Amino acid sequence: MKACTSPPWRLKSPSSQASDARPPQFTEQQIERYSRHIILPEVGGEGQRKLLASRVLIVGAGGLGSPAGLYLAAAGVGRIGIVDSDAVELSNLQRQVLHATSCLGRAKCLSARDTMEDLNPDVRVVPYNERLTSANALRIIADYDVVLDGSDNFPTRYLVNDACVMAGKPLCHAGILRFEGQVTTIMPGAGPCYRCVYPEPPPPGLVPSCQEAGILGVTAGVVGLLQATEAVKLILGIGSPLVGRLLLYSALDTGFREVRVPRRPDCAICGENPTITELIDYEQFCRLTPGRTTPGGGSP
Amino acid sequence: MTTTQTETVTVRVFGALRQAIGRSEVQLPCAGASVRDVLIRLIAECAGEAGSYIFDKQGNLWRSLMLLVNDELVEDAFRQRTNAGDVICLLLPLAGG
Repeated sequence: MKACTSPPWRLKSPSSQASDARPPQFTEQQIERYSRHIILPEVGGEGQRKLLASRVLIVGAGGLGSPAGLYLAAAGVGRIGIVDSDAVELSNLQRQVLHATSCLGRAKCLSARDTMEDLNPDVRVVPYNERLTSANALRIIADYDVVLDGSDNFPTRYLVNDACVMAGKPLCHAGILRFEGQVTTIMPGAGPCYRCVYPEPPPPGLVPSCQEAGILGVTAGVVGLLQATEAVKLILGIGSPLVGRLLLYSALDTGFREVRVPRRPDCAICGENPTITELIDYEQFCRLTPGRTTPGGGSP
Repeated sequence: MTTTQTETVTVRVFGALRQAIGRSEVQLPCAGASVRDVLIRLIAECAGEAGSYIFDKQGNLWRSLMLLVNDELVEDAFRQRTNAGDVICLLLPLAGG
């Protein structure tokens, strides 16, 4: 009989393990707050302790990062890092539900922190009021168990992917435009990465941004919550994450499609002979001139 | 003679391509053609700038385009032949967040 092994997507970080000899006790308030989780056999007290001990980094406090952040905070993810260097603008509020009208002009990462910590005082939010760059990405990601990409531009998406592959960190990826979304979970070593799915970015100007083509606000909500769901499943070690699968969502059709995505043996970062061994200049890779995009997870 | 579904290939498009073509699905009576030739037929059938999303100026497929036939990745669009009833999906990455 084949030996039973842990699934390859089980988190390795000690912060997500609840195997201490004396696990922390819940307070009365925590038992009440998380009762709908604890009552689930797949979560239970042990799972809730995993969530409280877990650390998730959200890149971008925008349309995807907002719903994901709210629900991860509500779920009791113990530490949430949020990277964004933008300020809250009026045009954000149609979908970026972490921010309120009273926060206009405020740094998004600080607005996000206050909203999440107000929702759940068990959560410590670490704001990064800076762009994610090749210089800081590995240092920031190192402190987290799972990364959630809610950025809004291709240079940041390739940067996040490459940094997660190099650091061996699970990445919950999603992109949105108009009425559609794409979601996948990247588990370095166990499935394809973003470069396996899209080896190269589209030429500049070919694929419009949400600023140019629009986004139905609720579409961002659906897709961001799919990312958050993937993150929670990874932390709990339950279910089957979207590893090797790309989920397509169409709000107009109210439909989901799923396509299988294999690892590419010639992938530049996770293939058999990787050509990318350190983080590169991602604006140059995406054929953009510096300053044309905001590779910091912002969502203008 | 009318074209039956058994002779057609369905092309499904998403995102910016869907917007460029104006619909999410096109049926083309060209089963047996290569995937590349089906895409050339698609561009010929559709008004607008759909071609620029699929081929570069040299006629090569963009490396940023994901091509699937019946949900399986296409490795070589020049050589892979289509069969009646095949569904080709064209996907572009979405940067928005």
